[in-house]
Amino acid sequence: MKSWRFSKGCPSVEYNNFHSYSAGGRLVTALSLLDGRIKVTDRVIDSVFKCQLCGNCDVTCKMCRFDMEPLAALRELRFKLVEDGYTVPQHKPVMEGFRKQNNMLNKVKAKRGDWADGLNLKDLSKDKAEIVFHTGCRYSYDNDLNHVAKASVSILQKAGVDFGIMGKEENCCGGRAYNMGYLKDFAAGAANNIKAWTKAGVKTVVTPCADCYYTFKRLYPEAGSEIKVLHMVEFINQLVKQGKINFKKPVPMRVTYHDPCYLGRQGEPYIPWKGKEKKIFGQVVVYEPRRPRYNGAYGIYEPPRDVLRAIPGLELVEMERIKEAAWCCGAGGGVKEAYPEFSKWTAKERIEEAAATGADAIVSACPWCERNFIDAIKECDKKMKVVDIIELVYQAIGDGRNFK
Amino acid sequence: MTLSKDAYQELEDIVGPENISDDPSILDSYAFEWLAELVRPDQSHYMPRPVAVIMPASTEEVQAITRVCNKYKIKIKPLSTGWYHWAGPIKDEDDTLQVDLRRMNRILEIDEKNMFAIVEPYVICAQLQAEVMKRGLNINIIGAGASTSIVASACAYAGMGPSTYWMGHNSDNVLGMEWVTPSGEIIRTGSLGSGDGWFCSEGPGPSVRGICRGFLGSRGGLGVYTKCAIKLSHWPGPTEFIVRGTLPAFRLPIPDNFRVYTLAVPSWDAWADTYYKIYDNEIGYIFHRQFTLAGADLGPALWLTLNDHTKTLNDVEEMIKKPDIKELTEELRISFQLILAGRSLRDIELQDKILDQILAETGGWKVKRFCEQDMAEFTNVYLQRLGHKHLNFVWVGGYLGSWMQPGTPDFVKKYVPIAIKGLYRDAAGGLLVQCGGDALMGCGSTVAGGGWSGLEQFVSYDPADKESIKAGTKHMEDAITDAVSHGIPAGKEAIYLSLGYKDEKVWASLARSQQPIIFHFQRKIKEAFDPNDIGDRNYPTLPENYKIE
Repeated sequence: MKSWRFSKGCPSVEYNNFHSYSAGGRLVTALSLLDGRIKVTDRVIDSVFKCQLCGNCDVTCKMCRFDMEPLAALRELRFKLVEDGYTVPQHKPVMEGFRKQNNMLNKVKAKRGDWADGLNLKDLSKDKAEIVFHTGCRYSYDNDLNHVAKASVSILQKAGVDFGIMGKEENCCGGRAYNMGYLKDFAAGAANNIKAWTKAGVKTVVTPCADCYYTFKRLYPEAGSEIKVLHMVEFINQLVKQGKINFKKPVPMRVTYHDPCYLGRQGEPYIPWKGKEKKIFGQVVVYEPRRPRYNGAYGIYEPPRDVLRAIPGLELVEMERIKEAAWCCGAGGGVKEAYPEFSKWTAKERIEEAAATGADAIVSACPWCERNFIDAIKECDKKMKVVDIIELVYQAIGDGRNFK
Repeated sequence: MTLSKDAYQELEDIVGPENISDDPSILDSYAFEWLAELVRPDQSHYMPRPVAVIMPASTEEVQAITRVCNKYKIKIKPLSTGWYHWAGPIKDEDDTLQVDLRRMNRILEIDEKNMFAIVEPYVICAQLQAEVMKRGLNINIIGAGASTSIVASACAYAGMGPSTYWMGHNSDNVLGMEWVTPSGEIIRTGSLGSGDGWFCSEGPGPSVRGICRGFLGSRGGLGVYTKCAIKLSHWPGPTEFIVRGTLPAFRLPIPDNFRVYTLAVPSWDAWADTYYKIYDNEIGYIFHRQFTLAGADLGPALWLTLNDHTKTLNDVEEMIKKPDIKELTEELRISFQLILAGRSLRDIELQDKILDQILAETGGWKVKRFCEQDMAEFTNVYLQRLGHKHLNFVWVGGYLGSWMQPGTPDFVKKYVPIAIKGLYRDAAGGLLVQCGGDALMGCGSTVAGGGWSGLEQFVSYDPADKESIKAGTKHMEDAITDAVSHGIPAGKEAIYLSLGYKDEKVWASLARSQQPIIFHFQRKIKEAFDPNDIGDRNYPTLPENYKIE
């Protein structure tokens, strides 16, 4: 903690104030439901779902505890409520879109690959390649952001990477459905993707979306996937270090980097574990065998910073809350879909923090963060740009084309 | 217990509908309290439910809420950051309104020249420390940690911690309070009350600090404190608090003018002598017995485990079997932490020399492994910020404090062996964590300048296991018996347990305390400031004519 202004960690309790809107409060709600002391009311639904599941609480708890998994418990609470029919009305059309159109934006499935028209990309629904570029719903359909997808594939082409896309056959990763509590829908979507990739001979999935990255990296292995997962920024960092990408053109900007929750503290490597709880020293709870400890420390923090530092003319300045302590953009956990004002408030808080660094732009590596910042910044008096890190890389390569 | 529609409406009119709730799920999130299971029927985790929770944003709103409570005879219970099971309602039969002060969260002023800050109740220690360190100043962070309310520790409860030895107890550091009394008056104390600003708690103006705080701090039982001015101290360290390392093994670099030591002594007599010599020589900035909170048998292995971010509690079991750890455990058995801060390099060198001389005289030593860079930097971040406070719960999620009777080191060392023997006995069956009989931690001094200490026995129990909870409760009852049978007054556990007592048992306990007359005086104070009895018994009183022993 470096100042009063940017000292907070949990957007939900800062916005909603009642204790039930903190991780601790939600755990009490779960316990109280289990104890039969309360019933599911509108307030319970509100407090359970008005949270981005950003995971800041999880990191904070694990600074001092080895036996707590608050984020997992909050998700389980959502799964249970949804299973029992207690859902957020605003999530229903989103989930209908997920089921019918296989995306989270309720757009026409047949148009999912339109962004790639004219780019001469291998279509892995018909062809084969070991690397699939998974665009994600937001980059596929959002006209303010799909230039990033185009820039991404251009970078890969320039680096000589043999890859393909699934085009209109690409399906949503299911991560956002999972976080909204729709576990069965997620499982069905994951099975479809894994099957399609296997059929296309895919060994590695590369995605520019932090939500997709988390879902593939951390959730798909539980569904049987053995496919390697890379975020585009990790891949770019590798290609830069291998000399396959060279930055020729200066990008004279002062930028600050926003760690997306699902690439940062929730983007740690998956470690398979099956075991049980036991007690030692009378009452100390441990796990046999040792349980992996996801505490946010091993997220993808340095690759984006390495890439930014490698771009000539670009200056990186840090915000106060970074890496595992980053403040959320506000878009996750179904909040943008259900509680847009809360979502925007959260983003504005981050924009204020970014502006306090004196940066010209807030840079991220997730289209959901960027969309939320773009929406929120319209209501701020800040002249800050919102930029995807891939866009900066593309500028620095000096390709000459402008996809924007 | 419910709030009438009329009362609810009047309260809602004060704060708006978004800042009041009587939904059971909201109420239960406040009723759930650490330690509740030790005193509630059937080991329930819940203290009594409030009838509603309300969140005011200003002193005026607090005053208006208080007036509604008087009108409808509803008890009022303020809460800032919360700690202990007395933060909520105490009695099932009372209608209690929980006043959550989290919207009152501003640092109103930092007066650098006169070295004080004015804060609202939801400003936490870490926030103010981060801001004042930029100005070369610091605050006393209480033992309950960096996330606690400054107003609460200064105005309403005990205000001591590792830095109290140098910076003073927060009950002394408070320079002025804004107090909404239970009857709804706003009283501004000390110099503030005469319009002369926040510089002095005793006047010119009403010097009512003793009335407000009473015996122990009113703990929400005598109105609401809405602002306070707190004294700031000199900070000879960096203006930014930049930690390094990988979670949870965070570290704070040690400047050239600081030294961070874990010290050990051969006996409890030597422990007391060393404390006196440190007081007498006026060295040291942070002075605390911290690491023993994890138990003297397991603590060294735990701290080394925590400082390797790849390890988990499973490793403690392996580690304690190693010869070097066994040796270290013995070396650290009677240990404590001391951080020296020099105003100059010559000053720190002098303090170092004095410390070496003290250790030579008392037979003490610097514990080499814990003074190496990794552990010293961990000690530095732990004790300078106290952000790792929830390590108190590290073993299994529940802990209680017993003993903690304050006094001179010579007094404290008298109860130490009794406390150690008692915990070994009570944990022998495995229902409490078996981390060693000495899980005693506490301030080097609980008053500024030294002279007065106290050690609290940290007893860990599993709050998810009713038998373990019962063992925790029994331990507290046993600790009282142990103390009283040795002519020592009961300790902290008596306060914990009293939350579950009926009034008659509380009165009997107060009447047997060291200075029971206090509670007759407090009754008179309560009659004057709380005629409708809307505060709860956290501000303890004895009935009129109640016989004291």
